[in-house]
Amino acid sequence: MSTTTVKKLLVHTYLLLFTMPIVGMIIWYFLSATFNSTTGQFSLENFNFVKEPVEYAGVNLPAIWPIVLNTLVYSFLIVVIEIFIAVPAAYAFSRLDFKGKLGAMKFLFLMRSFPGITLIIATFFILVQMNLVNTYLGVILVAISGSLPGRVYIMKGFFDEVPWDLEWAAMVDGCTRFRALMKVLVPYVLPGIGAIAVFAFLGAYGEWFLFKLFIFDDNMLTLAGYLSRLVTKENVIMNYGLITAIGLFYTIPLVVFYIFTQKVFLKVNLGGAKQV
Amino acid sequence: MEIPVALAKTAYKKPFTKKVYPYLFIMPFALLVLVFFILPAIATIIMSFTDLNASMKINFVGLDNFKRIFSDYSMPQILWNTFIFAVITLVFSLFFGLFISIATQYFLKGKFTAVIYRVLWLIPSIIPAVVYVTFWKYLFDPTDEGFINKVLLLFQPDGDPISWFTKIAMAVVIIATIVSTTSGGMILLSAAISSIPEDLYKAAKVDGASEKSVITKIILPSLKWPLMYITISDLIGFVSSYFFILLLTNGGPMRDTTTLSLYAYQQAFNLKYYGYGAALSLVVVLISLILTLWLLRLFDFDEMIKPSRIED
Repeated sequence: MSTTTVKKLLVHTYLLLFTMPIVGMIIWYFLSATFNSTTGQFSLENFNFVKEPVEYAGVNLPAIWPIVLNTLVYSFLIVVIEIFIAVPAAYAFSRLDFKGKLGAMKFLFLMRSFPGITLIIATFFILVQMNLVNTYLGVILVAISGSLPGRVYIMKGFFDEVPWDLEWAAMVDGCTRFRALMKVLVPYVLPGIGAIAVFAFLGAYGEWFLFKLFIFDDNMLTLAGYLSRLVTKENVIMNYGLITAIGLFYTIPLVVFYIFTQKVFLKVNLGGAKQV
Repeated sequence: MEIPVALAKTAYKKPFTKKVYPYLFIMPFALLVLVFFILPAIATIIMSFTDLNASMKINFVGLDNFKRIFSDYSMPQILWNTFIFAVITLVFSLFFGLFISIATQYFLKGKFTAVIYRVLWLIPSIIPAVVYVTFWKYLFDPTDEGFINKVLLLFQPDGDPISWFTKIAMAVVIIATIVSTTSGGMILLSAAISSIPEDLYKAAKVDGASEKSVITKIILPSLKWPLMYITISDLIGFVSSYFFILLLTNGGPMRDTTTLSLYAYQQAFNLKYYGYGAALSLVVVLISLILTLWLLRLFDFDEMIKPSRIED
């Protein structure tokens, strides 16, 4: 037994200990969803909700597929809108000069670390005034306003890392500033655009709070909003089998998505740049 | 000697279109920020001086809401909850984040097991909160359905199931939050550690440095920056966000797990005291603002905003 083996063993022991709850959680999720709790037999009956509307705690739940469609449409819209707003703004902050840039940057930074959620009470009233309560548009606007400062920051970091020479070369060759952006800069920062797309998707897919607050129509819920209603319905969860089955149905595509996109997470260090 | 007028006049002036150009890029973003950030901020301030409630009539009541905050008998407990929740969660998630990133990036560097541990720790932050929270509800379920009660009943078949959420609700909330926030810090710290050149470790080993001094003299100094960033952004997050508590305990039992920001939410949306809720939010904002300004002083801001290097 050399000292290094002892050290490795120690490290492994602690890591295993700390990681236990997470491993337990994963195992429990699968067991709970695929076993009949009364007979202890393996069964897929908890997954009946994909075929027909099931009931939970005596209430009939809406059919799942329209809700899946809502989730995908909502997430896709969020991703597209965030990219189209964040990329130009980040370009301006990184590459152009304008009056008030320094102030705007400071404000952006403040916003990023400033809890927008504390303004939700007033936001609710503004949505009521605009007649946007119980509409997707309202939820989307509030959701992107909350996350955009962070996205602009990440994107700015990616633009900052593009060498100026590239742009100069493009302009010497007769590009306008805008063409240089489209032809040279955007291809260069594609990883950054990929990163904010992934973050936007993950955020939108898990969004339940705004749906709880602004959407009263059960047919308009997304999967997260639907689950949050079930989880918080009673003090005690009545039917773990059904909840975990829906949870798995909801999470597994996300984990697959994450496995394919995880390289993105390594590229984004503190806001994409060496300095924030 | 005076400079000829003609020469002075030919000095380069930016055409108007070039001046407007940057604003076009920022416009959509600026509009959104204006309507859904600046406007709500102003509205929150105005609302906090009114007694806006379910009747939807606006009466200005001056500082009444703020006086009410000071005389609110549940306030001491709520402030204490907020403080305990933020500080304990922060300390532990920093500690775990540090431990896991040093273990996987230094002790087990490049090993397959390191990747496994990191992926496992990412899972709680990747999976949606609604799915994650179900597990904690199951662990501490007050009936004999719950995992911990099941285990206890194995040892004491004639015992009663323990109602965990009435006894140690805050502890459950804190543990669940620690497990889910650790990974964010872990990612940043891991990235920082992995950028330390291997040669440094080797040189230290040749000079006979112990593991302890490698960690304290090489690794920790390079983490100063990310640690500072994680500390402050997490702290602001814990003070101002309440989603998780809302899902897990809804602030209960009684007010045992209600933090200030959750209290503001409940006053506004459950009891319809919008004015009072807004005033409470304003206090949360003030606390966060003080933390943020402290952050701004720590970072050298003008350093990172470099001027454009194309004259047009």
